[in-house]
Amino acid sequence: MSESKEGQKGEVVQVTLDRRGFVKGSFTLVGGMLLAIEASKLVGPGLLFAADAPGKLKPEEMMKYLYAVREGCTGCRSCEYACSMYHNNGLVRPSVSAVHVKKYKNVIDIPMICWHCEDAPCVKACPTTPQAIVKDKETNIIKYIDDKTCLGAKCNKCIEACPSGFLRRHPDTGWPIFCDLCGGDPQCVKACQAQATDTAPVLSTAKKGFGVNLAYRNVNVKDAAEGLMQTLYYPNTDGGRR
Amino acid sequence: MATPKGGYFGKMLEVDLSSGKISTRAMDEQIYKDYVGGYGLGAHLLYKELPPKTDPLSPQNILLILPGPFNGTSCPSTRLNMCFKSPHTGIFAHTEVGGNAGNEFKWTGWDGVIVKGKAAKPTYLVIHNDKVELRDASKLWGKDTYETDEAIKAELKDDEFRTIVIGPAGENKVTYACIIVDRFRAAGRSGGGAVMGSKNLKAVAIKGTKAVPVANVEAYNKLAAEAKDMCSNVEAWQGVKRWGTAGLMEFANFVAGSLVAKNYQTSWYPDVEYLGAEEANRTFWKRHTACPNCPMHCMKLGVLRTGGKYDGLIAEGPEYETGVMMGTNLGLVEFEGAMKGIEECDAMGLCTISTGNVIGYAMELVQRGLLKPADLDGVKLEFGNAEAAIAMVRKIARKEGKAGALLSLGIKRMADKLGGDASKYAIHTKGQEMAAHDPRGFKPRGVSYAMGQQGGDHHEGNTPDGQAVFAWCCSAVTCTLATATPWAKRRPGIVCEMLNSLCGWNMKDEDFWTMGKRFITAARVFNIREAGISRKDDVLPVRMTTEPLPEGPKQGAVFTEEDTKKMQDDYYAYYGWDANGIPTPETLKSLKLDYAMEVTKKA
Repeated sequence: MSESKEGQKGEVVQVTLDRRGFVKGSFTLVGGMLLAIEASKLVGPGLLFAADAPGKLKPEEMMKYLYAVREGCTGCRSCEYACSMYHNNGLVRPSVSAVHVKKYKNVIDIPMICWHCEDAPCVKACPTTPQAIVKDKETNIIKYIDDKTCLGAKCNKCIEACPSGFLRRHPDTGWPIFCDLCGGDPQCVKACQAQATDTAPVLSTAKKGFGVNLAYRNVNVKDAAEGLMQTLYYPNTDGGRR
Repeated sequence: MATPKGGYFGKMLEVDLSSGKISTRAMDEQIYKDYVGGYGLGAHLLYKELPPKTDPLSPQNILLILPGPFNGTSCPSTRLNMCFKSPHTGIFAHTEVGGNAGNEFKWTGWDGVIVKGKAAKPTYLVIHNDKVELRDASKLWGKDTYETDEAIKAELKDDEFRTIVIGPAGENKVTYACIIVDRFRAAGRSGGGAVMGSKNLKAVAIKGTKAVPVANVEAYNKLAAEAKDMCSNVEAWQGVKRWGTAGLMEFANFVAGSLVAKNYQTSWYPDVEYLGAEEANRTFWKRHTACPNCPMHCMKLGVLRTGGKYDGLIAEGPEYETGVMMGTNLGLVEFEGAMKGIEECDAMGLCTISTGNVIGYAMELVQRGLLKPADLDGVKLEFGNAEAAIAMVRKIARKEGKAGALLSLGIKRMADKLGGDASKYAIHTKGQEMAAHDPRGFKPRGVSYAMGQQGGDHHEGNTPDGQAVFAWCCSAVTCTLATATPWAKRRPGIVCEMLNSLCGWNMKDEDFWTMGKRFITAARVFNIREAGISRKDDVLPVRMTTEPLPEGPKQGAVFTEEDTKKMQDDYYAYYGWDANGIPTPETLKSLKLDYAMEVTKKA
């Protein structure tokens, strides 16, 4: 079940969907996780989860990477709640949350996050001059400039370009919703960590990445779901009834 | 008419399926201040709007789909409530379900739906924010709940819709058919599925993108965070996080002596170790699942890896109630069969508790020679026969053959039909099958079963004031497991504080108990009007009061007449009802339920 697909700049990106391939992918992720944990040891937990002043962090305190270990997600959507409360005046509204949890056949929950890709296909696809989204070298985020620069609902380029199908439109305005990593202190991660008192948290951050986002960004919802079906529900890989 | 400042949108959707008319009903804030939502509001609206003695399966019955004020806000562990007159018991029914439908509903910008009438052909209702439409469901009719959910998402070309669906059991108006959300979650008790089926309403599909207004955002979010912390840090609940409620099966057998086995013949069933949480953990569970913003993740999803006939079966469970009723109550010893039974109930849209009870009851009637194989289409319905039980679930859902027709009646009507000794073994209160805890072994459960306003349900509360708390949970539509104990034991006032900051009200802590009494009394006066419920109905089945438990940790225990009398007296005294279980005029006045004065006078 492996397929090739035309990536950006014409290079061929291999998307592996078979079981072994998925397991391999998991190891890559574990590598990234270890790195994230190492990074947290270096700076100490106090700095990692500084609760007092989100958005006012010094550049060296900023978290530049966001990770998700999808196998453990319980589908509680606290990340959506936290994200929308932070960006929406304290009101819960998952439809405008940057992170979102997709359900697949009601047996898989997939937290969809922006991997803030190094080569940022969405930025390359943006047709405006100046561009409405740019890759910020200092903070590592894919930065949305403003609603004036973006063409909004008239244009669909970034949404089409996103290899993981993460980007969505704002339900009222039609502008795409980008993740800003909450200024280096992602609220979704805090919510996930607080929630997971007796399970491994799904979301985590780090200051340095190791190409994890490159390996993972090509996995869209359907591929991720089918991979997870193999990992979690073997021998029933179609999710149907027996 | 005042519009609420937060927590509510101040409008409900009114759908008349007979004419296809969809209209908006403006709601006054005062009705929310008095009844909050869910259970309380449902009891009030049914009393006011349902003509007395309506046939529950007639088009005149009203189905209320009611999220509460906390749904869709930062409050943890919210659910979805549905109220109607029960076709199973003929009295008030409230049924709650977890999953994503409740919050999604609130985000559509409606405080609830009032469904009336009967559609000419199978129909489903689509609510996408302000856009509401009725669509043809002829192609969905006959499909199981899983297929229906998938088919609706495919037809609407949007997998973000959440659905409330019924299965074949609801279509065929089996009076204990349930309503399914998110494939495995059931609004189980009292036959909501049959009410939907009688209205030709196959499903409701919901998608909302709005935000619930909050009067004082900062204060509310702070309180909600505190409330969530209280939910997750209850010592006794840590095991539930890891093992789900299935972990209580072993506990009920070896410690509490309240497990139900073989249609309540005993509470000692050591083979529970092949059916409970440990076995599920070995051969079935794969991951935890949680309702929105809930730190409990009490549900477990899994895939059967036993290599047997149902290898690869994906399902959610077992929970305590489903595991007991479809496992030990049927005398099973293999996990695989019990789990398939639970999954089949979910797919067919049957209440697992009632179905397990009914099949267990039929098995005992076979054991005692009161039912012959010829009465059951030749199915060998004996304790321990998993295949027969699974076959029977399918027969019940489709009312197939003699067996399906008989068992789909429910225990009370079966006993009435069979006559003779059959009623001795019939376990129900007010026509509702009891839920997996033997009140002889654990007497507080007797209060929940006997005194609860919808009959033998486990979500009614184990003490008089506990019932007020549970009525609050079902009115504010939060989870009775995750929130009732953590909040009520430590700080019941937190509910009032949260409502104050959410809605801009100024409730006091003592209002909590007054309103709890109001919810229960509102349901009670409805029951008095519809079925003349009184003290004579607030009793446990005869087996509980006459047959001592034969073995187990509580060997010899029985629910005595004194127990019953004390339970009733305490309860009536707490709620201000007279010795016959009828609310006194003073009580009605103090609870602002004066409108029910006429009905209670006649009783």
